[in-house]
Amino acid sequence: MKKSPNILQKLKSAPLAICFFAFLFAFMILDMSWPKRERSELENRTLEQIPDFSWTSLFKNEWTKKYDSYVKDQVVFRDQWIDLRGRVEYLQAKTENNEIIFGNSPNGTMMFTKFYSLGKNESTYLANAKAVEQFAQRHSGKVSFLLSPSASVVYKDNLPIGVPLADENSYLDEIFSITQSSAQNIDLRQVFDQHKDEYIFYRTDHHWTTYGAYLAYEEFCRLQGLTPFDLSAHQAVEIPDFYGTSYSRSRLWNTVPDVLTYYPLDNPMTIEVTGELKDTSSFNGDIYNTSALTTRDKYSAFLWGNNGYSTIEGNGTGSILVVKDSYGNSFAPFLTANYEKIGIIDLRYWPSNLEELAEEYDHILILHNFQSFYQDNGIRKLNLNINN
Amino acid sequence: MIFSTILFLFRFLPITLGLYYLSPPKLKNFSLFICSLVFYSWGEVRFFPIMLVLILINYICGLCMEKFDQSPKARKVFLILSIVGSLSMLLVFKYTNFIVDTINAISGLGLPHLEGVSVLPLGISFYTFQTMSYSIDVYRREVETEHNIIDFGAYVVMFPQLIAGPIVKYRDVSEQLHVYKNRYNLKQIEDGIALFIFGLAKKVLLADTISALWHDIIGNYDSTGITSMGSVGLANASSGLVWLGLIAYSFQLYFDFSGYSMMGIGMGKMLGFDFPDNFNLPYIANSITDFWRRWHMTLSGWFREYVYIPLGGNRRGLKRQIFNMFVVWCLTGIWHGANWNFILWGLYYFILLAVEKIFLLKYLKNSKVWCHIYTLFFVLIGWALFVGNEQGVGLSLLFQKMFNFSGGVSPIYFLRNYGVLLVVSTLCCTPVPQKLWDGIKKNTFLKIATLGLLFILSVAYIVGSSNSPFLYFNF
Repeated sequence: MKKSPNILQKLKSAPLAICFFAFLFAFMILDMSWPKRERSELENRTLEQIPDFSWTSLFKNEWTKKYDSYVKDQVVFRDQWIDLRGRVEYLQAKTENNEIIFGNSPNGTMMFTKFYSLGKNESTYLANAKAVEQFAQRHSGKVSFLLSPSASVVYKDNLPIGVPLADENSYLDEIFSITQSSAQNIDLRQVFDQHKDEYIFYRTDHHWTTYGAYLAYEEFCRLQGLTPFDLSAHQAVEIPDFYGTSYSRSRLWNTVPDVLTYYPLDNPMTIEVTGELKDTSSFNGDIYNTSALTTRDKYSAFLWGNNGYSTIEGNGTGSILVVKDSYGNSFAPFLTANYEKIGIIDLRYWPSNLEELAEEYDHILILHNFQSFYQDNGIRKLNLNINN
Repeated sequence: MIFSTILFLFRFLPITLGLYYLSPPKLKNFSLFICSLVFYSWGEVRFFPIMLVLILINYICGLCMEKFDQSPKARKVFLILSIVGSLSMLLVFKYTNFIVDTINAISGLGLPHLEGVSVLPLGISFYTFQTMSYSIDVYRREVETEHNIIDFGAYVVMFPQLIAGPIVKYRDVSEQLHVYKNRYNLKQIEDGIALFIFGLAKKVLLADTISALWHDIIGNYDSTGITSMGSVGLANASSGLVWLGLIAYSFQLYFDFSGYSMMGIGMGKMLGFDFPDNFNLPYIANSITDFWRRWHMTLSGWFREYVYIPLGGNRRGLKRQIFNMFVVWCLTGIWHGANWNFILWGLYYFILLAVEKIFLLKYLKNSKVWCHIYTLFFVLIGWALFVGNEQGVGLSLLFQKMFNFSGGVSPIYFLRNYGVLLVVSTLCCTPVPQKLWDGIKKNTFLKIATLGLLFILSVAYIVGSSNSPFLYFNF
């Protein structure tokens, strides 16, 4: 029997096998030769690189594990595959994807964080509230506590029907009832409710907008008897096409991007203890990292992201220390109108407690968003090495 | 290594198939053996020697049974030796700590756990059953002794059926293993490709996505505890939602397991082997007896052949038959996992099957609708027992939620969110997809387009499931 023409003829009769194997091999070769990326901008994280081989790491199962994530992270057309999945999920008429719940709003899909009642570290928020209360007691009379509700509390009518989000209001009430004995509570629910027709939360990101931060700031000024930053005296800069982290998670194909606003200020800033900004060579002493405004992660322009300890020179009198999560980053610039020195602490990048630093400041504002306050163990650092 | 990963699909599979197809006939089993060993060792390198020891024990015992062909006693000794070899591996890795816990609970002793067996060697429940089938069949003179250790090793560690079955008896493939030339043909390979893609789609597009509904209720866990805030908690769920979740879990279990089996059978065909079917639309069964003829058929077949029938089967009267069933179902239960709820689950099926055997079956035969409702209802309760010890569940809470009707988080949102998926899943439990496929595959273009689409979508879901953006520390 002659062999070669036979095989070719046979293969012709098996188009499926040809397509399948061609795809398998072509994909493999393409995937292996495709340039590898350092990080994914869309996912806002560094990607796994090819692991160095050693027998020890092989026997510890470390090498294979790393190789697994390397192949997964560097797969060719990774972003497009993820988009395709997002579209298919959309075709199934799902109201959520990848822990993001899709609500409606006149301006496009409003994205909420999926936050149900089965909590991890269920006692964390209570411990955090206690820490705030005890901290405020030690620094009696000069501590304000601002806890922002989530967008889903303000915009509950925009959520899909029956979505079983946790009852955040009762958590907020519980936290405030603990802190009220020693700290000045700033509860924004009423203010936000009154302004809910305005643009106070990003639709595609888990942060409040600059206007939302301003409303919170205004409320802080009202309680402190301060004259707020005059918006009309400043030129607002609007940055369109902001696709936030909720978008990155859900990759909803018809997402309408947000607009990010900021007020350029020439107050100088110093980063004393870094955090996210590991490489400070690009840092130029501005409050805003304007180069971040051209990237996807635009919110990190405020205060150059989360850093351990920074100070800003303001135009007012006295000093304030803001102990914050990333909600504080778009809030802090407004304080330049009222204080001479603004200190900004992110406890996640700060190694110890704040007892010494707190003495240097006239006033202390603890500012968090509910969801980070609920889960973040860092806030307990307020009590680190302190005997109560 | 698991099938539904980029590493498997676009590294291991093409390389292995390429090596296998290009190997000269005599070396095909060798390349299959080596590739399968890599596959087996990938996740846990230190279990590599265990596989070699298991292969050696059974291989040598097989040879000895042949050598002492004239001495029934010696043959029996080697049979027992090989079974002890296989079973002790299973026992040590899977059941030691369960037995220790049980002894501690009964006696109040504080025996320590055995270290280093917290992770099971990949597929140990499957391949130990396969090696036992070999030794027993050799003892019974139903197959020839395998003389080539490479061929035997290739059978034991063959990657398509290593992780999740089907449980392939040695005699199912022994003939094919020794066909070196023209082992496979293109028609068989094409059938294999179709099965593989269907299995992958079942696993990735259905099982993994519908499982999210169940995990919306019980939570997502890793070794450190709950990993996300996206679950309502079983205690907060209404009875309606718990039932819906259980239905989702039943879909997941079926699509996951049968999808894996299908991929295994498909890849078997690509290599030139015809593995036995493992699932035959179990959820359309019209009795529990029927269900077990359709669910994980190779496991039931194994127990029937190597336990039930040797015990006398149904040939020694009804009482003895019921006893034999009892033994088989205790073993079936414990095979599924080292925990009391699995034993309970096995006994549950023993009772149902015994009741059907004694009187119920003949009534069921007269009904058209009720028999299905009855079957699905008891299968669902079975899965509740099955899932009872999973993290975030708790058997008593689960049953309390199911039968003591209570309010809580309603199922409405979940019906809305997973509606399309639930309908598609239901359809995929019926003969409809097969009928559609029978029509489609007549047209070559449609056939390739359908499979291509399913494959592309599966890859998108595999890659997409690893999308976890870093939210600069959440907030």
